[in-house]
Amino acid sequence: MTENTRISIRNLYKIFGDDPATALEAVKSGMSKAELLEKHNHVLGLQDINVDMKAGEVTVIMGLSGSGKSTLIRHLNRLIEPTAGSIQVDGEDVLGYDEERLRRLRREHMSMVFQKFALLPHRTVLENAGLALWVRGREVKEFEEEANKWLARVGLEGNGNQYPHQLSGGMQQRVGIARALTSNSPIMLMDEAFSALDPLIRTDMQDLLLDLQQELKKTIVFITHDLDEALKLADHLVILKDGYVVQQGEPQEILMEPNDPYIVDFISDINRARVLRVRSVMEKTTQPLAQSAGQVTENANLEEVIAQSKGATDLTYQVVREGSPVGVISMQAVVKALVPTHAAAREVR
Amino acid sequence: MATYDFVFSKLGLQDWCAQDQSTGPMSMKDLLSKSRGETETSQSIWEVPFPSMDNLNEACRAFPQSRELTKGLENGFLSVKDSLSIFLDPLTQPLSWFLDGALYFMLATPWWIIIPLLLLVVQLVTKSWRLVAFVGFSICTLAFIDHYEYAMQTLAIIFVCAFLCVLFGVPIGIAMSRSDTMQRLTIPILDMLQTLPPFVYLIPLIFLFSVTESKLYGIAIILYAIVPVIRLTNLGIRLVDKDVIEAADAFGMTKQQKLYRVQIPLALPNIMAGVNQTIMMSLAMVVIASLVSAPGLGVLVLRGIRNLELGVGLVAGLGIVILAVILDRVTKMSLARINASQKS
Repeated sequence: MTENTRISIRNLYKIFGDDPATALEAVKSGMSKAELLEKHNHVLGLQDINVDMKAGEVTVIMGLSGSGKSTLIRHLNRLIEPTAGSIQVDGEDVLGYDEERLRRLRREHMSMVFQKFALLPHRTVLENAGLALWVRGREVKEFEEEANKWLARVGLEGNGNQYPHQLSGGMQQRVGIARALTSNSPIMLMDEAFSALDPLIRTDMQDLLLDLQQELKKTIVFITHDLDEALKLADHLVILKDGYVVQQGEPQEILMEPNDPYIVDFISDINRARVLRVRSVMEKTTQPLAQSAGQVTENANLEEVIAQSKGATDLTYQVVREGSPVGVISMQAVVKALVPTHAAAREVR
Repeated sequence: MATYDFVFSKLGLQDWCAQDQSTGPMSMKDLLSKSRGETETSQSIWEVPFPSMDNLNEACRAFPQSRELTKGLENGFLSVKDSLSIFLDPLTQPLSWFLDGALYFMLATPWWIIIPLLLLVVQLVTKSWRLVAFVGFSICTLAFIDHYEYAMQTLAIIFVCAFLCVLFGVPIGIAMSRSDTMQRLTIPILDMLQTLPPFVYLIPLIFLFSVTESKLYGIAIILYAIVPVIRLTNLGIRLVDKDVIEAADAFGMTKQQKLYRVQIPLALPNIMAGVNQTIMMSLAMVVIASLVSAPGLGVLVLRGIRNLELGVGLVAGLGIVILAVILDRVTKMSLARINASQKS
């Protein structure tokens, strides 16, 4: 465990059923999810999960429905109890917490945003936003200022006295985010927070989240089934399938070197030019390039480079980080990177 | 020679049968057959009787007859009755005080205070002047045909009983919603209370309490009317959106906070629907309870039946309908106000 690891999950198992202990033995000796369901009538929720989530980073857990991602995020604040394994937050074992200590974790260290917003319908937007403080026993007057500050920050200034049902879905989720921010907790759990929103509003909300994150540097755990969303937000990407981690790492790394046919399949449909960044395609060298066609930053995506080259394929660019050279990138490499891995492999054959 | 003699002889129980020849009083059927001088003839298979208690008794006199079942039940009840009333009596005494107090208050206070007071309450809970006018008109009509006193007695009983139903019913409903075991245990009792014919409640109660005490009918009404408020409280809390409950948990609410700040407010429409039903059922029962000295419009209905006074019965019945409409409209309107303030 490194210094800035905030949440550390080790060997986490979750099995749903009447007798998870027996089923756990079966799973550990190699029984598959389908077999377990057939023979023991138990559902394998999570299987040997090991993830480290770093402080100040967005960890995205991605998977299709039924892959166990929502189950996993609910283990972090123990809305669901694991069958086996350990979860540490800031070095403390969350599973050993008693009720009182767990409540403090939920009140002060973790806040959560839900797919279906889950606002209190009989309370005003302001009271909803201040929920975390209200739960800690503060009066509306005391948290009004704090709640209004965050409502304004998510773009809901002046809506404080309305009721949730008077707002649109996107606005309701803004209240959900304001509610999580008002609690001032260092960790934010977001369970498919944007999945119920229209595509345009979803993009807006993603931008809002990135914006907030730049300023607040929270530890965010984000659940999604949308690969584009995952790639846009993730510092660390964890891909789940049938309850186990297929691959995890930096998103760029997963794109360039998928280690499983499942992931290859998954990433075959995305717009690679928009997601891939220069730094994952470039050739690393600190030597300045003699005849470069120009400079690109390491975090620019390939789309930007292609736009800059105006379609010419014989150019080579200097890659810079904060003004100093870190590598070179040729347009040939750019174009080659646009071809998905499995297509390239088929070509070789 | 009876049909089932062979059962006892096969089992070797003749001695047991013979030792206790004393039987209960002779049944009508026996008497008739005896007087006709009928003797047992061989029976065809079509006439084989069901091996019921009475038929087995015929074969073996030591076997109890079915009337001993009802008699035993009665004796059993009578024998525990005294010890039961030792702790039931003081426990239910406050109910008598409440009922007597409410009846005294409604009748001793002059009508020109009570009627405006009722109208004020209607205005406060419904905020509807139309309803206030309707209630005022109805009560004045009842008063004009000299049914004011009876109507107020009925209302007083309903207020006390419905209030107590809510007081006990809501916590029971909450307990049911929190524990599946509790729900499993309670639902059969509720089913029984709801399906038992209302007259049947009265019989054991008459044995337990003296007919002159008001708690006798109070208990009957509460037992009958408490069911819907329990059921709907339980249902209402169980129906609260799971996502909202999860959010409450995720933000670290205690059980208490969750109950008072989330579950009860969100279950309120259902709870109020239960209160409405409870009030209507109290009204239904208060009429039947006039059989055991509950005062009010039910007494007039009873008089109408007993003396075949058609007019008295009809007018009193109409008075009950008017009260029912008033109570229903007022509770429905306040329910609608709650609904409007928290639709999601």
